[in-house]
Amino acid sequence: MTKKRLIQKIAFITFGFISLLVVGILVTILGFITIRGIGVVNWEFLTAMPKDGMTKGGIFPAIVGTGCLVMGSMIFAFPIGVLSGIYTNEYLKDSWLKRFIRMMTNNLAGIPSIVFGLFGMALFVNYLKFGDSIIAGSLTLGLLTLPVVIRTTEEALKSVEDSLRMGSYALGATKLQTIKRVVLPVAYPNIITGLILSIGRVSGETAPILFTVAAYFLPKLPSSLSDQVMALPYHLYVLATSGTNMIETRPMAYGTAFVLVAIVLIVNTTASLLRRFLQKKVKMD
Amino acid sequence: MKKIILVALIALVTPYLQAQKVGFKIKGSDTVLPLTQKLAEIYMKNNANTSIMVTGGGSGVGLSALMSGTTDIAQSSRSMKLDEKMKLNDAGKAFKETIIAYDALSVIVNPANKVSKLTREQLEGIYTGKITNWKAVGGDDQKIVVYSRETSSGTYEFFKEHVLNKKNYATSALLMPATGAIVQSVSQTKGAIGYVGLAYVEKSVKVLEVSYDKGKTYVTPTVENAKSKKYPITRPLYYYYLSTTEKTISPFVKFILSPAGQKIVLTEGYVPLS
Amino acid sequence: MKNYRIIVEKFVEGVLFSSSTITSLTVILIIVFLFREGIGLFHGSPLEKDFVIAVSKQNPIQELDAAKVKAIFNQDITNWSKVGGANDSIILFTTSDITNYYSEEELGSALEFLPKKLNDFIVSHPGAIMYVSGKSLPPGFNGHRIKIKDITIPGFVFGRQWYPTSEPIPSYGIWPMIIGTLMVTLGALLFAIPLGIATAIYMAEVADIRIRNILKPVIELLSGIPSVVFGFFGLIVIVPLIQQTFHLIVGETVLAGSIVLGIMALPTIITITEDSLRTIPQSLKEASLALGATRWQTLVRVVIPYAKSGISTAIILGIGRAIGETMAVLMVTGNASNIPHSFLVPARTIPATIAAELGEAPYGGMHFKALFALGIVLFLFTIVINFTVEFIKNSKKEIRS
Repeated sequence: MTKKRLIQKIAFITFGFISLLVVGILVTILGFITIRGIGVVNWEFLTAMPKDGMTKGGIFPAIVGTGCLVMGSMIFAFPIGVLSGIYTNEYLKDSWLKRFIRMMTNNLAGIPSIVFGLFGMALFVNYLKFGDSIIAGSLTLGLLTLPVVIRTTEEALKSVEDSLRMGSYALGATKLQTIKRVVLPVAYPNIITGLILSIGRVSGETAPILFTVAAYFLPKLPSSLSDQVMALPYHLYVLATSGTNMIETRPMAYGTAFVLVAIVLIVNTTASLLRRFLQKKVKMD
Repeated sequence: MKKIILVALIALVTPYLQAQKVGFKIKGSDTVLPLTQKLAEIYMKNNANTSIMVTGGGSGVGLSALMSGTTDIAQSSRSMKLDEKMKLNDAGKAFKETIIAYDALSVIVNPANKVSKLTREQLEGIYTGKITNWKAVGGDDQKIVVYSRETSSGTYEFFKEHVLNKKNYATSALLMPATGAIVQSVSQTKGAIGYVGLAYVEKSVKVLEVSYDKGKTYVTPTVENAKSKKYPITRPLYYYYLSTTEKTISPFVKFILSPAGQKIVLTEGYVPLS
Repeated sequence: MKNYRIIVEKFVEGVLFSSSTITSLTVILIIVFLFREGIGLFHGSPLEKDFVIAVSKQNPIQELDAAKVKAIFNQDITNWSKVGGANDSIILFTTSDITNYYSEEELGSALEFLPKKLNDFIVSHPGAIMYVSGKSLPPGFNGHRIKIKDITIPGFVFGRQWYPTSEPIPSYGIWPMIIGTLMVTLGALLFAIPLGIATAIYMAEVADIRIRNILKPVIELLSGIPSVVFGFFGLIVIVPLIQQTFHLIVGETVLAGSIVLGIMALPTIITITEDSLRTIPQSLKEASLALGATRWQTLVRVVIPYAKSGISTAIILGIGRAIGETMAVLMVTGNASNIPHSFLVPARTIPATIAAELGEAPYGGMHFKALFALGIVLFLFTIVINFTVEFIKNSKKEIRS
């Protein structure tokens, strides 16, 4: 009996240590980026154009570029993703069609981001002749994030109890009315959270934008959808691997990495705070 | 609430609907990239209504973009190949070629390496995988780690043509996606050797003297030696553009060829024309 | 009024339906476009479009395999007798060499005399092998074209050399990259599976709610960090660390890639494993405990067997995450196109190759097509992974019902 207990104790302690190690990894990475990067970040770094072969100045155009790409991809992916999620969860009964659509969505979610890059280049840049542009990059990123939006929408809808729907039908409401007045008001905190989380994902992707939009150096803000832009993740890649003066470029790279991580973390934290806030609100109503 | 969102959306979209300013695109060689970027930066400061966009991709990409009309200037670290010229001729597109600067391709090793000079034949042996230990070229008993650029960069092709005598690189060569990465890796790897444009050389790596006459004379890559053509691995850097767009582009090219422009060439670590 | 409402309902349903077809449509379009751009690689000779290898009329050789042509242009073979011709040394000639033989004036300002000069050249140099555009050869050219075997799919998959820009015949062999990709993925899993599953078990079965409330967001944060940041961290911290720890000559290795990918695959494995551990009915666990088993025994004998399919799904999705990862790997594995024989040598992966070279491959050329063909290979890998996951999920349902 004691031997059994001992084994259990050893095993659980080991697992605890491993979990601690995983936390340690995250803390190390975040700590490293923060310590090296935070000193570089100041108002000028965030709002100025890159200067002197990107060894001085700021990363403003890259921040704006990433902003454009996030917005563009979301304008495309939000409505389609949410509508698609509503359809598969509310309209389709358990049929081959539902399974097929689910399977295709899962397949799309499993495709590597670099393949999206290839696809975006072949379809949007070359075939549809958009060229390297915000619109080509946004559409590519939008398709990449579509499965995430669909899944979170479906999850959110699933968590709505069926009794609510039944009640609504019993009162004579149509399907559309039920969805609009009963299901969505309950599900929307989780939907919104999912949408915000996918913003975090989109702002960090590099591979899909390499061949569809990203510019190495473009110290002007975009003026149309057919412009190329700089983007934070690609800019970090450029700073980390090119540049004629690696020693002087390094601090800029740390700063950019810090800003990128900070944006993603702020977005994710906002998402979970918002979820809590909205859920409370829904419950109070 | 809905109104606010609508107004915000309109406010965000309107800038995109405005007409574009006067501008042109430069695309191509990564070797020329830092120079072009700096030149463009300074030119735009003085000419606020011009917008110049600079992207890399490699010489071949720049030239094929020029043919397909997706760039206005192709920057190249090699001269246009004959079949590329033929393609442009076939398409009825006349083009202009301008040499904007020279570059001395420097062979670099880790500062801890004893070796300070190599002949072309030795370089060929190292890069084609026939020489694999520094001992064979007068260094310590240490394996050689070969760093090269990616396959389609102009620098890769130039080095293959002028140093490797058109032979293929060894498959064991580490191909780095950008020149800066080569400098970075060579500086932290003891047995490393790499080649980079003169502008990329910095204190963390050691530059080798190179001999093209089987070891009689060794030359260091410097601006002076490159200018006087003493250093053998020197190459011109080109701008190619179509005659139809010459009007918009020529002020920029003139600026580069002016003394002020050539001074930037020098300070950026490239070799000026005169 | 009622009709109007029905029309609205139907219309909305139609809109919803069309939105839900977008993902399927995208998957189909991805397949169509990858094949559209990539399959051209296997449709013809390995030479660039319109280009030919030609020799003098007197030369008896009609056909050469690609390896021989490569050896000739790599100066490993320098005499025609080695490939079954006369005892004559081989003169290499590509179009740009024409200026070594004739002046610019002789060629004409728009190269209008080039075809004639090419003919003059072959007449005066019967030992030459020419790599030129077929269009520039004049009618009545005093030589013949050499037939070269097409690129085959086995040659592409199992070929061991990757010289995509080598002239005149590039080599498109991706075997080293397939092995490289699999090695890096395998290494990542060896690292991530034990860590991931242990953490998941700790969170689901051992830790109290407070610790779990700390761990959960930490893992969410980890999954949110962009891959390029992992690559940057790997390049600056992990690569030099590996080099020093193992006293290697070079730190950019499979191992560096595996560690970075392992960290990136952790959140996927932890989240899905933990979810599957939580689906176990409390009654099962209680039954086991009531029979006198310890929590550990219950875990090993009851909980883990029950969650087996969920854990396998987690592992396979972890593989999917690792196999397609691009930027982080590109920055840390060194990208040498050698077949890696251990975890401590450089390697090149499929996604990294696409990312590094596509930007530099001229649109529509053979190199461009070869990179799309690589994309097809990567796509097929992920499709196999996705279907395995579907299969596991479905078989689980059948057992339960």
